[in-house]
Amino acid sequence: MKKSLWIFGTIALAFLIDRAGGWFLSKITQESQFRYSRLYSGHDPADILFVGNSRGLSFYQPYAEEKTGLSTCNLSYNGMPVSLAAPLVMDYLDRHHPPKVLVMDISLMDSVRMDNKLAYQFNHYSPNSQRLSDLLKRNFTNDFYAGKISHLYRCNSEVFQRTFYYWKKSDKDWLLDRVISPSMMSSVGEQKTLRFSYDKKMLDQVSTMVNYAKEKGVRVELVVNPYYPAFVPKIGNLDSLMNDLNAATGLTVKNFGNVVTQAEAFGDYQHVNKVGAKLYLDKLIQAGVLETRTGLHSN
Amino acid sequence: MIFNSLTFLAFIAIFLPIYFSLKGNARLWLSLIASYIFYGWWDWRFLTLISLSTFIDYYLGAVIRNGNILNERKTWKAVFGYGALMALLILGLNFLSKTVFPKISYLDYWYLPTLGLWLAFLVIYMANKLSTAENRGYRMMVVSMVLNLGFLGVFKYFNFFSASFSQMLGNFGVEASWNTLNIILPVGISFYTFQSMSYTIDVYRKEIEPELNYLKFATFVAFWPQLVAGPIVRAVDFLPQFQKDHDFHWNRVITGTGRVLWGFFKKCVVADSLAPFVDQVFHEPDAFASVNIVIAVIFYAFQIYCDFSGYSDIAIGFARMLGYDFNENFKKPYFSQNFSEFWSRWHISLSSWLRDYLYIPLGGNRHGKFATYKNNMLTMLLGGLWHGANWTFVFWGFLHGLYLIGQRALGKPFGTLMNGLRFPSWLKAGVNIALTFFFTCLAWIFFRSANFGIAMDVITGIAGFKGFSMVNVMNKFWVIKGFLLIGILLLIEISDIRQHWNSVALRQPAFRMVAYATLLLLLAFFGSFGSGVFIYFQF
Repeated sequence: MKKSLWIFGTIALAFLIDRAGGWFLSKITQESQFRYSRLYSGHDPADILFVGNSRGLSFYQPYAEEKTGLSTCNLSYNGMPVSLAAPLVMDYLDRHHPPKVLVMDISLMDSVRMDNKLAYQFNHYSPNSQRLSDLLKRNFTNDFYAGKISHLYRCNSEVFQRTFYYWKKSDKDWLLDRVISPSMMSSVGEQKTLRFSYDKKMLDQVSTMVNYAKEKGVRVELVVNPYYPAFVPKIGNLDSLMNDLNAATGLTVKNFGNVVTQAEAFGDYQHVNKVGAKLYLDKLIQAGVLETRTGLHSN
Repeated sequence: MIFNSLTFLAFIAIFLPIYFSLKGNARLWLSLIASYIFYGWWDWRFLTLISLSTFIDYYLGAVIRNGNILNERKTWKAVFGYGALMALLILGLNFLSKTVFPKISYLDYWYLPTLGLWLAFLVIYMANKLSTAENRGYRMMVVSMVLNLGFLGVFKYFNFFSASFSQMLGNFGVEASWNTLNIILPVGISFYTFQSMSYTIDVYRKEIEPELNYLKFATFVAFWPQLVAGPIVRAVDFLPQFQKDHDFHWNRVITGTGRVLWGFFKKCVVADSLAPFVDQVFHEPDAFASVNIVIAVIFYAFQIYCDFSGYSDIAIGFARMLGYDFNENFKKPYFSQNFSEFWSRWHISLSSWLRDYLYIPLGGNRHGKFATYKNNMLTMLLGGLWHGANWTFVFWGFLHGLYLIGQRALGKPFGTLMNGLRFPSWLKAGVNIALTFFFTCLAWIFFRSANFGIAMDVITGIAGFKGFSMVNVMNKFWVIKGFLLIGILLLIEISDIRQHWNSVALRQPAFRMVAYATLLLLLAFFGSFGSGVFIYFQF
């Protein structure tokens, strides 16, 4: 009997450390300056709310705030699928005074290229959100319940690492800043056609999110962020996606896919760098997607 | 079934209590059936292959020692009976998979295993008839080699050699095209085939007595902890352990649990955390800056080490709990100061197999310098080919052959140079370890690359120093996590050299509790549980 006690002792010790560690990490999660921590703390009021995948990071916040004079919040994340974007946006709207405008880059409407397993990386935020909990329970049942057993397991993700990294610093200038390589530029012709793979369920998710925002009095703008100019012909079914979104939400999608023409403004075929992000934001202001504090377009 | 799955958790939770509540043959039956369930969970159809291989080697082991085929009438009865039983079982399982369990694949050619068995015994019978009393043992051993390597050749190498031969003819302007076989590689075939072969060779060499108890022999071949990815357990070490029951022993459970946890830490925490970065870079190396390629190569060195040695640790740990002892398969290989030391620390069960059944029979180092070089190279080339049907594996073996030859040829002048430099011994050891690691990594590039084109892209990418700057490191979160985990691994391994953590854990319950709880928490906080299989399953 005495010899078997060490098993219970080990489990009890592991449980205690897990709970203590989990408590400490949940404090970090709450205090972090990472965008989703600010979202769930309810302390991130913004006039402009952005959402998208890695391409949504081109809504470069410092420049947007400088040019518009308005506060911004960007919920974009690499590989963000619409199934995750929708609950995050709705959670934001529940916890904050409604922003003036919600801008969404529609390239997250792609079930093939988006990271459909990303949601489970938001497990450490699940205690803060019924919507996230439901999503996890539905799609990542094992991970959800493993997170109930071990609170440290909830924090076992890259998203938590970023939460930790931005504990005491702002994440607003998160944008890949490199220039597309000459070899990439020259091999653009060899790239396969990019086709958005989406279904009715995804269109419904966007529709739900848009309607929810509209009910809160938020203007919603659906946009196509810029692509490397020579890559634009490689996009296969953008028009049908825009039409389907229009039918599902009643909104006209604004296509800015080819408004940035300089090669040095891109990091790769699908992502602008800081230079490109600034050029793009200027275009959004000129087109009236983003308004400025004075209501005038800035130069 | 894989260790890092919920299915296995359920398997072990059912298996362990029943195992310890049984004794004698009942326990052996349980072990055998559990092993077949463990293996068949992946694809039940290949159970026919492993049982075929077991039946043939069991019989040949007895024939080799007996000097003649055993009771002819009884043998044919057994062969036809076994074949018929196999056909009936397959037909039954086919019926179930078509009706009750439609998701389970069925065996199209249900008669093949039975036909294979009967043909194999026809070969054995003919070989026996054509043999004399003096050469019968030898010939039967050769028949065993031919049949075992035949299975391996068909299932693992047929398409590879067929495609390579066709390509070679094409280079000479001869248009040759023939069909490849539409077959899947059975998991672990290289491991259990080598294990089985070592048995017949050892019986022929009179190093062991043939095992006449079929149940014990079948359990030896299929024993689930090491069946699919080693260590390759020799009959001489393992079969005698079946001669008695192993009682439940707390110390074995304690040390076995520690070993299993350590194996899971290596696999789920280190190897699977490094894998995504490595996979991305090796998929398309020319899309990445050289700094990322260098990191990916270092990461891969640790990924494959932790993946493979992690499996061995788990296997050794579970076997220890069940009362069996396996030899060590890895002994901190990246601390080797030269390549012969590396091969005495890396995949020891394979390297010692190749040494005892290939290198030494070829003459080893007994026939002069050049014969030794030739034997080194041949052994390493076949060692490379053992890993998989791809020329990149063969080239990996070739590089290691070169390293061993280079070490023999240049070891002395290099040693003199190092002594002349009068480095302190720790620095000398450090330089040797770094050099060995560097060349090992160079060989890993070929091992990991899908083809020579990718390998050359990796090497030219590194050599070009294009974008060799910290600014260009992609996904710093993966990189920081990767190096942090490698750091933890090395810290534990280095400290283990002096501290022998396993024996400390056995002596001091408080330390054990903290250590095991820490491993559990590291698994929870850093572990990756969705990546699936172990790398060595494909070999």
